[in-house]
Amino acid sequence: MNKQIAIIALMAGVAAALPLMTGENPYFTGVMISVLMMAALSSAWNILGGYAGQYSFGHAAYFGAGAYTTLIFISRFNLNPLLSIVAGIIVAGIIALITGSIVFRLRGHYFGLASIAVAEIVRLSVLNFDFTGGAQGILISDVSLWGFDLNSKNPFYYGMLIVLVVTLGITLFLRKSKTGYYLQAIREDQDAAASLGINLSFYKNKALLISAALTSVLGSLYAVYIRFIDTTAVLDLRLSIEIILTAIIGGVGTLWGPVLGAVLLVPLAEMLRSNVIGDTLVKFGIVSASSGLGIFLKENLAHAHVLVYGIITVLCILYLPKGILGLFGRGK
Amino acid sequence: MFFLQSLLSGILTGGVYALAGIGMSLVFGVMNISNFAHGDLMMLGMYLAYFAFTLLHIDPYVSLLLIIPISFLFGFLIEKVFIRQIIHHPHQNQILLTVGLGLIMSNSTLLAFTSDPKILTTSYSSSAINIFDGISLSVPLLLSFIVTCGITGILYMFLSKTTTGLALMATSQNREAAQLMGINVAKMSAIAFGLGTALAATAGALIAPTYYIHPMAGHSFLLKAFTICVLGGLGSVFGAAIGGIIIGIVEAMASTYLSTDWKDVVVLILFLAVLLFRPQGLFGKKGEQ
Repeated sequence: MNKQIAIIALMAGVAAALPLMTGENPYFTGVMISVLMMAALSSAWNILGGYAGQYSFGHAAYFGAGAYTTLIFISRFNLNPLLSIVAGIIVAGIIALITGSIVFRLRGHYFGLASIAVAEIVRLSVLNFDFTGGAQGILISDVSLWGFDLNSKNPFYYGMLIVLVVTLGITLFLRKSKTGYYLQAIREDQDAAASLGINLSFYKNKALLISAALTSVLGSLYAVYIRFIDTTAVLDLRLSIEIILTAIIGGVGTLWGPVLGAVLLVPLAEMLRSNVIGDTLVKFGIVSASSGLGIFLKENLAHAHVLVYGIITVLCILYLPKGILGLFGRGK
Repeated sequence: MFFLQSLLSGILTGGVYALAGIGMSLVFGVMNISNFAHGDLMMLGMYLAYFAFTLLHIDPYVSLLLIIPISFLFGFLIEKVFIRQIIHHPHQNQILLTVGLGLIMSNSTLLAFTSDPKILTTSYSSSAINIFDGISLSVPLLLSFIVTCGITGILYMFLSKTTTGLALMATSQNREAAQLMGINVAKMSAIAFGLGTALAATAGALIAPTYYIHPMAGHSFLLKAFTICVLGGLGSVFGAAIGGIIIGIVEAMASTYLSTDWKDVVVLILFLAVLLFRPQGLFGKKGEQ
């Protein structure tokens, strides 16, 4: 455990020094923020999905709850951003408790389906209500905290990094605690765990609450960072799937799996989205910019990142179901 | 008056939902897999009907004669290449694999045909029959309903009278016992997935004349198909048929008396309520789940 704490501290130190070394590079910082955010999201999901074995397919609901609550409080009531984040945690917590009381009675197929259904109810409600901005979403202007203006990227870089470190710390602490052992017992065999006197519902809900609270903080940070949200960006099923996929690729139920998954997947998606691959092919003369293929790549490759995610998901489930860290036998 | 009108159009739409639900239920029953690509298979059916109509000038209801064998083959191959490998994996991996396959289908369609919605307009697309004053039935919906009834009837005969159909049902009831009786369960899985795909594509083709056709169209039908299956009892073909009609009516009523925006929410709440209070479905036996 001490070794793991040392590794987390070392990684955090390197990550914290990174912006100082690279100087002002908004594109790089932007990608890094996405990497840290997805690493933290996936690690938070991993507490429930990886350690307790409860694959939630609806984590976008907590991310969206944080994002929407925070922006609504900032834009309507001009509340302090930090308090707005706390408000987001409360809303996400309430949704988590309601979700938990429904979905944790179900198992197998039913649990996965019910978690999607709850998240879709949240998404459609946000889309249909007026105070959430409906299909237009919410846009806010400049945000400041204690006189500092939050329009640069660095505060969010460090914000995401702190949440990631906290999430990894909680994971590390949990898995050596009584709760962590109970969760892993539930994952391996629910009935056996129940027969040993473990209160299934209490511990599953505990894991869900921790996971949802962390996810909502990330949603809040994202919302203030981007300053515009709509249901497609923060509440879509696609986001829930991306979170799971990131954990699967790295290794579900491992401390570093979700981080590894994010480091691999996010830059790939970013490259596809910003068309770096297409531009590189053109730059090195492999594909001519004016040829049919060149035009096709330029126009379409940006949309292809979800397709690539789909292909990676299929390949990963078929050939690498335990993830990359699973290959090295660091399963637990 | 409103009530009767909603009831009738709900039943007609529900018939098409029932087809999609039956397809999913069949796959679930025989293979014990929740197919998250089902909605996207429906979407592919919509595109097939669209291109059969615009390129080959075949009426969507006639093009079913092409769409059904093509989609059966497609599903059969998907099972052979992908699904077969994870049939004994944990549920979450099965879900993720089918999610991945669905993403590939919808996003390949997006790349090939862009996200612009396409509309299939037949000569009778917006015509309606007046039954008696104030109550009318949309012609394409009525035609779809009649075709649905025909296909469901044929499927019922197939499942209850032919050797392959009975073997499918036996596999659905008890995979191990069926295998011990000499049924080739691996082959049954491929047939079930082929049939499920064909039914999804048929449902897609049938709603194509009354719906916007776009790459993400399957998304909203996926949870509907699940709701139908759960309502009818996962794995029950008869239950799914009734479940489809019920969902059609619930949606139509919710649109009339609540608002169109909230009809999907009503269906999802119904879904959760069934999962919680009657997880075996309306027609399933207790303890089956």
